[in-house]
Amino acid sequence: MGEKFDISYVFTFFPKLAGTLQTTLLIVGGALLTGLIVGFLVALPRLYKVPVLQRISQLYASFFRGTPILIQLFLFYYGLPEILKLAHIDVSRAPVLAFVVLTYGLHTGAYVSETIRSAVASVDRGQVEAAYSVGMSGYQAFTRIVMPQALAIAVPVLSNVILALLKDTSLAFSLGVMEMTGKSQSLATLTNHFVESYISLALIYLVISIILERLLLFLERRLLRHESRPAEAYPVFRRERFGRLRQFFTRERRVRFREETR
Amino acid sequence: MIKLTGITKSFGRNQVLQGIDLQVEKGEVVVILGPSGSGKTTLLRCINYLERPNAGRIAIGDFEVDCERAGKKDIHALRGKSAMVFQHYNLFKHKTVLENVMEGLVIVQRMPKETARRRSVEVLEKVGLGEKLDAYPSQLSGGQQQRVGIARALALGPEVILFDEPTSALDPELVGEVLAVIRRIAKEGITMIVVTHEMGFARDVANHVVFMDGGAIVEEGAPKDIFNKPQEERTKQFLKRIMPEPAYSI
Repeated sequence: MGEKFDISYVFTFFPKLAGTLQTTLLIVGGALLTGLIVGFLVALPRLYKVPVLQRISQLYASFFRGTPILIQLFLFYYGLPEILKLAHIDVSRAPVLAFVVLTYGLHTGAYVSETIRSAVASVDRGQVEAAYSVGMSGYQAFTRIVMPQALAIAVPVLSNVILALLKDTSLAFSLGVMEMTGKSQSLATLTNHFVESYISLALIYLVISIILERLLLFLERRLLRHESRPAEAYPVFRRERFGRLRQFFTRERRVRFREETR
Repeated sequence: MIKLTGITKSFGRNQVLQGIDLQVEKGEVVVILGPSGSGKTTLLRCINYLERPNAGRIAIGDFEVDCERAGKKDIHALRGKSAMVFQHYNLFKHKTVLENVMEGLVIVQRMPKETARRRSVEVLEKVGLGEKLDAYPSQLSGGQQQRVGIARALALGPEVILFDEPTSALDPELVGEVLAVIRRIAKEGITMIVVTHEMGFARDVANHVVFMDGGAIVEEGAPKDIFNKPQEERTKQFLKRIMPEPAYSI
């Protein structure tokens, strides 16, 4: 097994791994964009109950949610060029990263479509009727009334999807993409300091996750500002030990504590 | 002014409206009464095409549509002539009070924002919500929300406002403020068709009362005739159950 544990390696690895961060973020960004567009398009036939397309989109969602992402990566990387070859399209010189982004994009799209579907269904029908009654068209009612509210409802779930995506990108390494996990692997083998390398890697993922989480929480608050409740609507807890700590973890920033009465 | 001819509507095998004929003159306040399930709400929703009638003709002002042949354009034009106030308010939850009222003016009627804003503020002041322009619906009481709903309908300047049980979802305490607003705009000569269970309101404000049962109009006439000397047995039964005391004691 490797060298004796040396904490200083954690710090030397840190900037080196951060150097490949852009590859990771590129996969996340590209896949997210693809996923949002695909997810939205796939959700539409199911929302409007379009006969055949509805089944296809169900099938799509089942496949990408029901098989491991690692298998999907292999299938796309090795399988897609073969299929395209039949149509006389040569993709053998396309960069690996393109396949990776495509696979993650489609994978994310499956989750996004489910999220959008349920979010749209949860905006009450009455508001759509009201929109029609003031003279809006179906398209106007959807884009101006339903979509903004559905988006706000979807953000907490989308946050989960985005964070999962960030962590899943570590599997891209299995196709030889030099993103953070790949880099940490090679640094570890080079120096024989495995644990330090992984600690460093975990720290970076954690930091990025926390930043993303904060940003998304902010977005959620902003989109849900119409639900702002007066202070007395927040839950009251008995003041307890670790109260503040608990507040931090439960996201209930605005809990009020009832003073102990004797 | 508004003329419905032979409106029928069925949900599956259940026929809810069996050929309704109704005429409403300009400036009239028509109240539709009837037990639940009698089709009064469905009739109202048909006028605004939220429910698609199976057959019949709807005419509002100079615009007439044959329900069996109505296309998207006809429906759109018809909706432009009427506005609706809902039982559950149905305000746009992500928009402020002012935005709720402005939405139809800016998006549908393509009014310049500044004009729309001025008009909306004016209407909101009329319903007594001049101070709540920037509040969200979730911050308002039921009565206030319904008054926003009324302002939203009123601002569009429709030929007729349709009220679908506007006070049924409200606390008894808040019913008064909403009825007062409806009463006030009725005095301004706006044509209204109101489905309600508020008998006092029907008696005071209506020019014309329609009693429906089983998807058909049983009896219609001036409120004092309907309430004091109803002709049909079914109307008598209904009024007796809903108002045990004599309608007028003098």
